[in-house]
Amino acid sequence: MKKTLFAVLLAAAWPVAAQDAYVIGVSAAMTGPGAGIYAPVVDAMKAYLDHVNAKGGVNGRQIRLIVQDDGAEPSRAAANAKKLLAQDKVVILINTSLSSTYAPMISEAKRAEVPLYFGGSVCPKETYPPADPLLFCSSAFGANLDSQGSLAFIKSQAKEPVRIGFAAMAIPIARAEIDYAEGLSKTMGMTPVEKQISPPPAPDYTPFATKLKDANPNWVFSWSPWVSQVRTFEAMRRLGWNGRYVTWAHLNAEDELARIKDGEFYVIGTNAFFQDDLPVHAEIRAVTHRANLKSPVTYLTEGFIAGMVIEAALKNTPWPPTPQKVLAAMNNLKVDMKGLRGGPLEWTKDNHFRTKQYYRVWKWDAGKGAVVRVQDWQAIDVKR
Amino acid sequence: MQLAVNIAVLAAIYALISCGYVLIYRVSRVLSLAHGELMMLGAYGLAATASLFSGHPLVAIAASGALALTVGVLVYALLMWRMTGESVLAAVLTTIALGILLRGAMVLAFGTQTQYPLQQLGWTNASIAIGGSGRISAAGLVLVLGTGAVYAALFVFLRATRWGIRMRAAGQNPLLAAQRGIRLHGVYALAWGLATFTGGMAGMLIACDAGIEATLVTIGLKAFPAALVGGLDSLFGALVGSLIVAGAEVLIINYVDPLLSEVVPFFVLLAMLVVRPWGLFGTREELDRV
Repeated sequence: MKKTLFAVLLAAAWPVAAQDAYVIGVSAAMTGPGAGIYAPVVDAMKAYLDHVNAKGGVNGRQIRLIVQDDGAEPSRAAANAKKLLAQDKVVILINTSLSSTYAPMISEAKRAEVPLYFGGSVCPKETYPPADPLLFCSSAFGANLDSQGSLAFIKSQAKEPVRIGFAAMAIPIARAEIDYAEGLSKTMGMTPVEKQISPPPAPDYTPFATKLKDANPNWVFSWSPWVSQVRTFEAMRRLGWNGRYVTWAHLNAEDELARIKDGEFYVIGTNAFFQDDLPVHAEIRAVTHRANLKSPVTYLTEGFIAGMVIEAALKNTPWPPTPQKVLAAMNNLKVDMKGLRGGPLEWTKDNHFRTKQYYRVWKWDAGKGAVVRVQDWQAIDVKR
Repeated sequence: MQLAVNIAVLAAIYALISCGYVLIYRVSRVLSLAHGELMMLGAYGLAATASLFSGHPLVAIAASGALALTVGVLVYALLMWRMTGESVLAAVLTTIALGILLRGAMVLAFGTQTQYPLQQLGWTNASIAIGGSGRISAAGLVLVLGTGAVYAALFVFLRATRWGIRMRAAGQNPLLAAQRGIRLHGVYALAWGLATFTGGMAGMLIACDAGIEATLVTIGLKAFPAALVGGLDSLFGALVGSLIVAGAEVLIINYVDPLLSEVVPFFVLLAMLVVRPWGLFGTREELDRV
């Protein structure tokens, strides 16, 4: 009996003991719709972890990152998760893909009792307090909180009664957020005048923009993939609308503000821009230069943050790592963001999102010929 | 007025794309499901030539047009040529495989970031007042005028030129056409070249208006209902079908619910398939099951 028990324990422990590295698996939309947003996150995360490995790794061990492309397809994400868990024996599973891939990955992670970390993809509500024990998120996006931050900014800026329009892409997460924002605007004394939901690939956004413009809003808020946010805005401007537009700062926001050059087009986000020129920005530049990444350096902050979070979680994970040990480390984590965000990223047993969410707002200043900050870090407490 | 402008621009997009579906189907009875990818390749071609011939926008545009035409001919010469005489299903599956291959190759070659060829050409997409209360983007105006010019040129080409008449003959009765000395492979290659050129042109103009996104491929498929509604073997039908589908879409967005805009082209298509499966101007006896 003792011998059998020993054999079973040995078999169970073998895959971990046989590996000489912390093994982490990512399922990401490296191709397909959304690849422009997700691929740079994975590239930067990998470059950061390679940099950590080059410096000697974590706790004297290397980090092995296995990346599987899911093309933003749920079936491929499920297959990737199965492979990463069963074959590669990863201690953390990472999702960097569209929200449609969440359900199959969550289901596989729960079956294997391995923590699932959303790095660069929209944080699911299950990471908010009271958090699901296995789900964690460091991404900039925060459903509901982003609308709260955006509408608070509009209220602080508006000198006249706010007639607000809403624009979103016809995907579940964006529609839910814009519905929430519409409801919230009423409680904040604003008048919602129109809501336009455009399909994911619209050949021309002008018909949607026409309806929105005809409702005569003085502000428009949009929370969606960048293509939907910015094409609706550009079409509205071409139709002669001269109101103010607030939208989410995706990875490309800093470059896009400089391309669009419109003084009333605001982006709100949680990651510092490269114009701040922080010491950590120099580090990102150096790391990505060494890795020879194709993406513009301004797109890489989110992936760099994901790398920092993984490094911090593994530092607190004693060798040999198991999913349970990693989980314990992730349940009590505080990562210094070095200025990339308004404060540290903190996870507790109850809160796998962050305890405070900080927002900044930027726009293009034609006079200065540069992107300028309109609002500095404003914190929102993340509570139950 | 704005409503009419919106319908005209969307119809022009659909018409320019669906013209490629029709040209290939009409001549070779093959339904090309790689048309969206070839359209996107045309857009990337413009971005590439714009950066290659920096400061010479007209040269860049001409080079990208020539590139699209050549790619179409090469697709036939290297791939579809071998499908001649095979079942329709085999040829359609080949185009699906080609589409998947092109999608992967484009990610590898051009990356995943949005590109703005108009900016690379050094031009801006100005807003132009039209008919008092309407406005249209410069790229949208070129799209409408360009689509009109393409259709006019194709009508003249198919009716008044030797190669055009050969194409019609090959489409109507390939066996008889071959017996009369018409080189079918040459005609088919030309059809693929022209279809890729018009699809590529659509891709270039959409990219000039809104940049090149990964979702451009899907827009290629969105024009498919327009081609089917008009009749898959009729160019005039493609034009009318595009107007019907675009009109229904824009009116639904404006008067009913924007969320329905995605389903309305397929609703129109289903209605047409029930009432007249060969489309408004299609040929009844040419209907095939795939």
